[in-house]
Order: sequence, then C-alpha cells, then structure tokens
Amino acid sequence: MTDEREITLTVNGTEHTLEVEPRTLLVHAIREDLDMTGTHIGCDTGNCGACTVLQDGEPIKSCLTFAVQADGSEVQTVEGMEELPEANGDLHPLQEGFREEHGLQCGYCTPGMLMSGKALLDENPDPDEDEIREAISGNLCRCTGYQNIVKSIEYASDELAETPTAADGGGVTLEERFDEADDDFDCGIDNCCGGPAGGDLTEGDHQ
Amino acid sequence: MKAARFEHHEPSTVGEAVSLLESFDELTILAGGQSLVPMLRFRLARPETVVDINGIDELDYLEEDDGYLKLGALARHADVQESDVVDDRYGSFVDAAPLIADPQIRNRGTVVGSIAQADPKGDWGSVLIAHDGEVVARGPDGERTVPADELFLLPYDTSIDEDELITEARVPVPADREGSAYHKLKRKTGDYAMAGVAARLVLDAEGRIEEAGIGMTAVDITNARASDAEDHLVGERPSADVFEAAGDFAAQESNPESDEHGAASYKERMISVLAQRALGDAADRAGVTKRRATP
Repeated sequence: MTDEREITLTVNGTEHTLEVEPRTLLVHAIREDLDMTGTHIGCDTGNCGACTVLQDGEPIKSCLTFAVQADGSEVQTVEGMEELPEANGDLHPLQEGFREEHGLQCGYCTPGMLMSGKALLDENPDPDEDEIREAISGNLCRCTGYQNIVKSIEYASDELAETPTAADGGGVTLEERFDEADDDFDCGIDNCCGGPAGGDLTEGDHQ
Repeated sequence: MKAARFEHHEPSTVGEAVSLLESFDELTILAGGQSLVPMLRFRLARPETVVDINGIDELDYLEEDDGYLKLGALARHADVQESDVVDDRYGSFVDAAPLIADPQIRNRGTVVGSIAQADPKGDWGSVLIAHDGEVVARGPDGERTVPADELFLLPYDTSIDEDELITEARVPVPADREGSAYHKLKRKTGDYAMAGVAARLVLDAEGRIEEAGIGMTAVDITNARASDAEDHLVGERPSADVFEAAGDFAAQESNPESDEHGAASYKERMISVLAQRALGDAADRAGVTKRRATP
C-alpha cells in the first residue's frame, strides 16, 4: 500500500516525470526529488508562505499540497524567474526591485514573496499599496517590517510598465506604440490588440 | 514531519467516490486540504486511505439554480470572491470569503470542506446557519439534504455518515428586501476568528423585519444560532436600539471559553458588538435595490 506513483510536473517550463509516495508534499518533491532548493520550507505548518509556488498560475503553499495532487500541472518556482519574457534574460524586475529597495535581509521569505508578487502583478500590473499588502498577507517576513517589500513590488510594477519586453517588440512602451500606430496596431501577442482575433488596445487587458 | 503512509484514491465521479467510501474503513476525504494536510502531517489524523475528490469535475461549480445558490464541493474560497453570481445580495458571502486565511489558502481551500471539517472557528458554518442553508450528501442509499441546524454536532463532528460525501452546500436565493453581512474579530491576517457573526435580515414592505438569521463563530462547541436574538428582531423596525438588544441576546446565547486570545466575558461583549455591526450592514443591504436573479 506504500506504492510510489508516477507523476508529471512541468516546473518552469520543463517537464519532469518522477516517482513519489502519495504522502510526499509538493514542496518535498520540488526540493528533494527535483533538487530545486529555491522554494523554502519555513514553518512547516502552512502559516509562513516561504514555500509559495504558482500552480497553473495561482499562488499556493506547496507544504499544504501533496505532490500527487499537482500531477499534470504547471508549477512555477523562483528558479524560473530569470527565464520569463519580462526578465529580458536578466534578473526579473521583481528580483531587481528586491535588490534596489532592500526588500530582504536574511532572504528566507524572499522566494515566497517573489511568487506572491508575481501572481499579483500578473493579475493586476498596477496595484496600490493595500492591494500589495493583501497579496503578500500569506507570507511572513521577520526582518523587513514589510515596508521595503511593498516598495520592491511597486518598483517592479513601475519597471514592468516602463520597460517593454522582447515579446512586446522592445524600445518603446505599448502606449507609445499605440499612439503612433494606425488601425492595424499589433502588440505581438495572440488574441490581444491587433493580433490575430484581437481587439482595441484601449479595451483589451493584454491577456 | 511527514504524514503516515496512506493509500491515495482519486475517483473521477461522485458515484466512484461513494463506492470507495463504502469499501474502506479508516478513511478521510481530501478536498482543498488546507486543514487536513497539516493534520495528516502532524499525525493528528492517520487514515489508511485518502479519497481525494479534486478530480471530480462534476463537483466544481458555484451557481444559482432552482432557487438556490449552490456551491459544489470543489468551489474554493477564492471562487466565491471572484464569482459574478455572488454579488451584494449575498453580503455575508462577500464579507466572509476575503477574511478567510490568506490568498494562497483561499486558492485551495473549499467552502464545503470547511463546513465538513466542522471547526467551530470556521466562518462558513455561521453563514450557512444565518441563511437557513443546507448541505447535500450522497451515500450508498442515495442523496439526502441536511439543514445547517442539524449538521453540526461537536467540534469536528457532523451528522454526515462515514460513507457519505457532502457534494454541495446551498442557501436560498435572497428574497427582495433581504440583506446579509459577516463580521469577524481576529488578531491578524490568517488567524481564525476569535469571534464572528453572520446576520441576515428580510424586511417587509413597511420596512419591518420579517425574518432574521444569526450564526455565531468560535463562541460555542459548534457554529451556533442565536435564536433569542432572531426572535427579538422579528416584527421590529431596524434601529440601533433594536440591534443593541439583539446583540445582547446573542452575547447571552454564546458560550465562549477563555483562552490566550481573550476572556470569555470579552468574547461575549465582542459577539454583541459584531452582531450589531453585521445587523447594521444587513439592514443597509436589505434596503438597496438589488439585481433580480436571472431565471
């Protein structure tokens, strides 16, 4: 009855097939089976949020989910941040923000903070302070008093608004390109703006 | 700490799940797992078998249908927050969902799982009581509904049998001139309630209270109804004085224990305050023009 089960996890875009016991937590599968130790175990009780990862785009606590429950899903961890299009091959704007605004001291909570921040900015690119504080309310930090973490996420939000990614075409902001463009404006993303089956930039939400 | 070893089953239909419940002893049902997974890991629960219902697509819904707001067993707390159906008419749901735990936990935890867990500190049980809701359970002998008042027996214990699965929680679609609210006291984000009150009011055409529902959180061995407070409200016009008296009835009906968060007398006082605030919001919401349920 202790049979291991074969599961497939796509972590940061790479598909992994692994054998796990049903009682293996997702965070243990990520850290021990896949050897990706960026995702931290803090409290081991579901309170601290250091183990936060994105499962199919949504932030979850990987210490409160068995790995078998994540079978077939897309998981994003801190290790994949530099490979995201908005990172432009360098540090992700969120990581840059944490560096510039001193969003960490000991760094233990940072991977979870980054994933919660990422989930927030994916959904709401221009959050106010209350929205940021709500988004990181499941992540505990014992060093910073949160002030600089809020500033770090604000930094990333500003950075993402100002710096177009390679996927956007680069060089100028979408708004500038829209102002200069004719009716056939195309941000380059399918089902957005002027792209295939797209609509108006002013109406779309760029998703 | 790791959970003790268990056998993991993932049925894909309710029928399959029920046959699994019938064929095993020492089992537990896993939905969102946000309370159960830590209990398994600390070995407070050591089931031999876990029936994981997350793959049962037919349980993943939140809709208005047949005169009810129906929440399938896989509707997450976050689904309530994001739903277009759950609008101001369901004020207590709108209030309660964002006060539960934190964003990560709301993405996984389910409303029905929280009700089935029957933790007296759970919020949804009080909402279910205030709305005169019920749960639908499926077992080997078919389906039955259990009203909120008959559901909660003891902490972590309900009148649902071992071989039954709660497939749905539901509350009647609000009437015209109905409003509800939920107020909760907690030390910080992520904490369970120290005390909480769900209140629902239906006004008649003259503005008098025709029907009242009040459910209380964390102040008794289960989520509890404040029936004396409800009785006091019916027939009255909403006012601060009427709500204060109802709040005091609710406080008398509550039965909190002193703990590290506060003395019993403090919690009783808080029940009165929270009830008055929830009743005030419910009355405001009962007075606003509301969208009709679409047929």
